[in-house]
Amino acid sequence: MTATLLKLAFAGIRSRLLASVLTVLLSSAAAATIVLALEVGATARDPWQRTFTAANGAHALANISTEADAQAIATLPGVAEHGEPIPLANVGLYGETDRLQIAGLRSPARVNAPVRIEGAQPPANGIVLEQSFARALGLQVGETLRLATARGPIELTVTGTAVIPSQPRYPRRNPGLAWTTRSTLERVEPDPGRWRWTQAVRLADPSAAPAFADRVASSMPPDSAAVETWQDQRAAALGDAAPTRIILTTYTIVLLVVVFAVVAILVGARASAQYREIGLLKAVGLTPRQVTAVFALEAAGLGVIAVVIGFTLGAWLAPRLAAASADTMLGSPTMAVSPWHLLAASCPVLLVLVSSARSATRRSTRFSVLQAIQSGTPMPAPRSRLAHVLARTSLPVPLTLGINDLLARRHRASRLGGAIAVTAAAVVFALCMQASLDARPAGEASDVPDELPLLVYTLDAVLLLIAATTIVAVALLAVRERVRDYAVLRTIGLTPGQIASSLLGAHAAMALIAAILSVPLGIGLYVAVYGIAGGSSEDRVIAPWWSLALVPLGAVILVTLATSLPARLATRIPTADALRYQ
Amino acid sequence: MRPLFLALLADDSRYGYELKQSLEQEFDEMLPALNAGQIYSTLARLERDGLVVGRSVEGDNRRKRMYELTEAGQAELTSWLETPVPGARLKDEFFMKFVVVVSAGLAAPMRLIERQRREYLQSLRDLDAVLADGAKGPTAELMVEGAVLHLKADLEWLDLLEQRLAVRKEST
Amino acid sequence: MTHVRHVLEARGLAKTYDTGGAKVFALRGVDLSIGPGEFVAITGPSGCGKSTLLNLLAGLDRPTSGQVWLDGERIDELSETELARLRRRKVGFVFQFFNLLPTLSAAENVELPLLLVGRGRKEARRSASALMGDLGIGDKQDTAPTQLSGGEQQRVALARALANSPDIVMGDEPTGNLDSAAAREVLALLRAARDRGQTLLLVTHDARVAAAADRVINLRDGLVTDETELQAARPVALPFEHDEFG
Repeated sequence: MTATLLKLAFAGIRSRLLASVLTVLLSSAAAATIVLALEVGATARDPWQRTFTAANGAHALANISTEADAQAIATLPGVAEHGEPIPLANVGLYGETDRLQIAGLRSPARVNAPVRIEGAQPPANGIVLEQSFARALGLQVGETLRLATARGPIELTVTGTAVIPSQPRYPRRNPGLAWTTRSTLERVEPDPGRWRWTQAVRLADPSAAPAFADRVASSMPPDSAAVETWQDQRAAALGDAAPTRIILTTYTIVLLVVVFAVVAILVGARASAQYREIGLLKAVGLTPRQVTAVFALEAAGLGVIAVVIGFTLGAWLAPRLAAASADTMLGSPTMAVSPWHLLAASCPVLLVLVSSARSATRRSTRFSVLQAIQSGTPMPAPRSRLAHVLARTSLPVPLTLGINDLLARRHRASRLGGAIAVTAAAVVFALCMQASLDARPAGEASDVPDELPLLVYTLDAVLLLIAATTIVAVALLAVRERVRDYAVLRTIGLTPGQIASSLLGAHAAMALIAAILSVPLGIGLYVAVYGIAGGSSEDRVIAPWWSLALVPLGAVILVTLATSLPARLATRIPTADALRYQ
Repeated sequence: MRPLFLALLADDSRYGYELKQSLEQEFDEMLPALNAGQIYSTLARLERDGLVVGRSVEGDNRRKRMYELTEAGQAELTSWLETPVPGARLKDEFFMKFVVVVSAGLAAPMRLIERQRREYLQSLRDLDAVLADGAKGPTAELMVEGAVLHLKADLEWLDLLEQRLAVRKEST
Repeated sequence: MTHVRHVLEARGLAKTYDTGGAKVFALRGVDLSIGPGEFVAITGPSGCGKSTLLNLLAGLDRPTSGQVWLDGERIDELSETELARLRRRKVGFVFQFFNLLPTLSAAENVELPLLLVGRGRKEARRSASALMGDLGIGDKQDTAPTQLSGGEQQRVALARALANSPDIVMGDEPTGNLDSAAAREVLALLRAARDRGQTLLLVTHDARVAAAADRVINLRDGLVTDETELQAARPVALPFEHDEFG
């Protein structure tokens, strides 16, 4: 029996190639976002590790107020290696709001040493900038940096750039970091009382770093010491991926909702188109559960293909998405492929596909065999209350006819409306995000990686494409199912224009309502995601009302365009032939 | 016709004149016109053949002769009832005309068909009018429905004949 | 004799289908005219072209050659839009398979033509109710078509066809999908409409329907082969006037 079911499922996929392709594309997108969300953080792990090794990184890095305290830390038990205490001074840039922390090195650091990227190796004349800081300010080696000190501006030549595992990307870690010689530091900040000191140590047992950090903190006066373990440093360095991960998770959910809706529509349409076939299957001996199983197997089969494609896509894209954090590391992010991620992507995608197929076919299989074979069409849904209400209003006849048709297939209409609403909400989300980014003062570096807006727009474009394709597919389906009804309407006296407008008008009305509902949904989504990503509510900006108003307008235009071709087709078939259509 | 007599005697013995009355009233249209003599001579023949037995009552006036079914008569009646009426009705006056016309070339066969079709359609209309009236009892209505169905079949037959004629014409 | 304008007139109607190589001559030149109040039936074996003829006369298809006039107006060269508008007012159509819109109730189906010509909703509903009452289905107004029997559905379809008091009602095998009792009812309703002055043109293979017509046109192989005019019903003498079976 299973073999028969599998055979039927495979035949089903082949017979509805276009719908199957659409399903696979959509599910691949969902799978890809899951994989991306899981991997985007991890892709920076290897480069960071490389940087840590090259820098002879500190298992514990303490930031304390006096040199004596720093030296005391170096003598604590468990320390395998330590460098000199290094003084730090905070200074601002002349004419800018950016701030810089300058480290004055007397000799090359032994532990947690800056890794040279370009130019001179610290300590050197002039100033060596941390790479992400240099990039954010657009400074190249050889250019001049003007510092604002108590005694007036001091100019230093940028002699090199470097990276260090303890400094995350500027401006997420503010102030930025730079290295000079001790004498230059004394020139910049002559008052040693205003210096902070750092002490980098390597431990005999790296895994004991948190315990060591606690010991350091407790042995110091309270609030005078801050100790970062190597685990903290890594987490901070990889933290760039956090907002990206949140966005990806959000879009994964959005995509899965759309997958559910679209697959349910497609499978439901197939099930009702093959109503008679199902009836025959049942007559031959398949139980309703087995019939549902055929459709579920189809969906699962497509899901497996989709997950493989999505996984490959996601694994390939993940390092590219994490490129921003590479500013602080040696080398570029690498693929973090893990078979667990494949499993993690499969579960929600397959679950959504199979449950969607099951929910769509459950209704279609709950009929008597005789009904199906005799009528060849599924039982129409009983009239909804909304349809009754509409019947009383004085809308033009084509519009009421179109809305009636839409409501007759209530499940499909609500799923399509849901897909449109969710897609439009994602567009609202992007608009709000863009508004927040635009609202930042000009010239200030963004703590949001550049890739993030690009990612959001790309995902939105994918969603819009899917929504448009789905609308076209559903409209074509609707036309195909109603060919004879349209012919009857033409016989009664509806003009081809009225028939087209019934289809267009109903879908446009539905899109309008869905899009209007999507605005508060999208805003709510943005607020929630912004909060989770740790942004402050002052910086959060909602898109202006006129740009939000474009969303329902755009939805109506898009839906009108998408249904115009099917609407034209509806009137092309000669009436006499259409009347015989079965 | 003889079985009819036997059927009328099936449930009860009757006087000769009662039989005559029944025959005239109930089955008048179905049978060719019968006069009294024919009725009584049929009765006599039935008696001679042993299917009925007659008993004179009060005087030897045949009018008052009471008739009753014998066992043989009962058996004959049963056999008549149980034997189905032959199905194939191969006698049709129109078809006879048609064959004659086609073989002897006496007239245009197509016109013959057309005229017959008109007659059938008109008859159909007439019968439908009877039914539409609703004034007749169920027996009459059933009879008319039967006639209607036969007419429909006959019209189909005309279509077939017409079609064959056309084919025949094309092939010559 | 005063010239009565024909409701429907056709001259030299021909329709050829070109299905990938083999040409099918569905109609080979048919002339036809129907006067107001006439009941005309078109009969013939299957494949004779009677449905094609009806489609051409109703403007649902375009002839390969020939002309059609509906109420004096030439219709074979009108656009789809103009034809639709014309049919709204002048033609009622009854199909073999009823073709009611399943998403509308019975009354909504009937009032649709009324709404299309611009009558208000309340007025349209009133007319539709009255019409349905006349046809004996007044209690089925809010029922969905799928819950009606075949005969009831066809009566709704007939009501829909009569809604705008069209110049002509055309039917394509209106009793073809009905059992004999329902067929008789529908035929009676059609006759009643005719008695009220409605012009009828029915394509049928049911001889009873043909016999109800004033004129029967016989079609074979795309050509008219016979045209019969029927008289009023003659009286019939019946046996079994008494009630043996009652």
